[in-house]
Amino acid sequence: MGVPSALRSPKSASVGTARLIRRIVSNYLLRRLLKALFTVFFVTTLIFFLIRLMPSNPIEVYINELIVQYGFSYEDARNQAASLFAIDLDAPMAVQYLDFLRHLSRGDLGNSLRSPGTTVLSVIAKFLPWTLFSVGTGLLLSFTLGVSLGMLMAYKRESSLEPVLAGIGSFLSSVPNYIIGILLLVFLGVRWELVPIGQMRGSMTPGIKPSLTLEFISDIFFHAALPIATYVLTTVGGWMLTMKSSTISTLGEDYVTVARARGLPETRITTAYVGRNAALPLFTQLAISIGFIVGGSILIEQIFVYQGIGYQLLVAISNRDYPVMQGIFLIITASVIASNFLADFLYSRLDPRVRIVGRE
Amino acid sequence: MNRRSAQPILTWTEGPEADVPLSVRDLWVEYRAPRGAVKAVRGASFDLYKGETLSLTGESGSGKTTLALSLIRLLPRSANVRKGQIIYRRDGQEYDVLSLDAGDLRQFRWKECAMVFQSALNAFNPVLKIWDQMYDTVKAHDHSEREEVRRRALDLLRLVQLEPERVINAYPHELSGGMRQRVLLAMSLLLNPQVIILDEPTTALDILTQRTIIDLLRKLKEELGFSMVFISHDLSLAAELADRVATMYAGRVVEVGNVYEIFYRPKHPYTLGLIKAVPTVTGGFQELASISGSPPDLINLPTGCKFHPRCLYAMERCREEEPELIPATKGHLVACFCWEQVQADWDREWQQREPEAMEVAWPRS
Repeated sequence: MGVPSALRSPKSASVGTARLIRRIVSNYLLRRLLKALFTVFFVTTLIFFLIRLMPSNPIEVYINELIVQYGFSYEDARNQAASLFAIDLDAPMAVQYLDFLRHLSRGDLGNSLRSPGTTVLSVIAKFLPWTLFSVGTGLLLSFTLGVSLGMLMAYKRESSLEPVLAGIGSFLSSVPNYIIGILLLVFLGVRWELVPIGQMRGSMTPGIKPSLTLEFISDIFFHAALPIATYVLTTVGGWMLTMKSSTISTLGEDYVTVARARGLPETRITTAYVGRNAALPLFTQLAISIGFIVGGSILIEQIFVYQGIGYQLLVAISNRDYPVMQGIFLIITASVIASNFLADFLYSRLDPRVRIVGRE
Repeated sequence: MNRRSAQPILTWTEGPEADVPLSVRDLWVEYRAPRGAVKAVRGASFDLYKGETLSLTGESGSGKTTLALSLIRLLPRSANVRKGQIIYRRDGQEYDVLSLDAGDLRQFRWKECAMVFQSALNAFNPVLKIWDQMYDTVKAHDHSEREEVRRRALDLLRLVQLEPERVINAYPHELSGGMRQRVLLAMSLLLNPQVIILDEPTTALDILTQRTIIDLLRKLKEELGFSMVFISHDLSLAAELADRVATMYAGRVVEVGNVYEIFYRPKHPYTLGLIKAVPTVTGGFQELASISGSPPDLINLPTGCKFHPRCLYAMERCREEEPELIPATKGHLVACFCWEQVQADWDREWQQREPEAMEVAWPRS
């Protein structure tokens, strides 16, 4: 009241700013979000420069192609290329970078260099769903299967079944996914001719209309079957072994003994007391591995000629199609970070001991 | 469940059998270990009377917990009950606990015989609220109305001096160690069991929390009238809470008797040693004595009386023959060849002391 407003306002303004900062710092969600945004920005910048540091560039690649495939002279090829590419690769990096950022801030990822008129966003929108579908299905299948088998192994750890499963599990988890992919292709498809790999190429039979009919759904599963089988085979071993050791240590917990002393039915103990606690750490892993969906599919999609985002990334890299590469890498980065976010959120939902931290 | 034929197993029991809800006879339990069989319980026998507190004491490794776990058949897989009987009685029926099938055993646990564990800190499933775990327990045994269970759970939580509404909706990690122990206590009373086993219920708690738990136990027992097996290596707690005390050594009950008898006139050299090893606030150090030697190796046990290598009274006979648990005086059993001499020495020492000092050493309310 008595204090002149001129004296009061600067002080209250600084108090206001301090409060805002404190609120950002103390708000868990906001803090995480800011950190995530910063990470995306940092990685995107890094990738921008890294891909330009790679030997060769889109024009060189194109020129080489014209010379090798069509017998163009270097001069002709160069002229042809220059007219095609609407990008000034001779501009200073900093200028290119600022240009990229300006477009990015508007949500514009640019156009593909090799197929002019095609936006990067449309490439992502067209191919990403197939990858999400095939890797996601594989991941869910292998998680469910692995967790069930892991618990079975823990419960039957004195039977002869356990060493067999453990052997299979550690074998599968130690073989790289592209080796398994190639083995499936060679043996199932070529040697024994058990599956018609020719018809299975692509993400769906050409000409079929996307709809919610049984025909379409079975068609996309038919085309995704081999990639899904590869993802399941390569990841199920890891889930099995982790779940087994997690279950064994949970079985030794006091609360399981007390639950038995309380006379609870064995099914209730297995699900709500052992299973739920043993699977807790695995849910975090699951969420994190969702982030690697996009990155993990590159080689597999190439082996089976599956039209997903990984396949597109490979094509873009060999053409040095900078905008498409940037766009897909951005998606990869964002999905890894988002899934970390999801992992934290999921964990705090599932484990009440962590929930407190999330609430504050 | 099969009724057992009457047999002379209650030779030293006074009063009708119906007043003895639990009898253990000649129980042998072994653990498989790489070095050989660990003989954790070797022919333990005792009776638990209706409404009494029987305290099982002894050093670590004397087989107290193994004995307790075998009462509800919750031994780990490596354990093996070699022989013996555990007889549970209710409403004139006798049940052989060791031969109950899986379904009956599940019903027997908690509803007839509940157990409060040492480590209440980890006794609860961390991802379920207290209420869910309470309801789980009841659901496993009865088909009770949800609201009725809730009311009973709240009553019991109030009885163990917790804020019922807050605690019932809490997750285990939101409660302190003492609170969790009390919740477990409340949960053990949920189905109104005839027998409650408490395995070192206060060991993990600080001295003041111990105090409240002990007072609580005494109050609960007066109000609800269950029988209690109280396992503790802490003799002063046993002295406070127990009606009778059983001392265990190397898997065997070596002395059982009324709490006054045990503390004022111990007859087994081991019990005597345990009592002398307890410090008192006013006693000073000169009166403290520990038992020399260390507990026996349970794989390679000494011959004869298992206590003889550490015993001041050991004689030739003790090295060759293991003494049986026999009645010394009325209701006081001891497994020692020289109990009369132990008794005589104790009496002499007792007379030299001032009576007030003993009263301070072993206060009884």
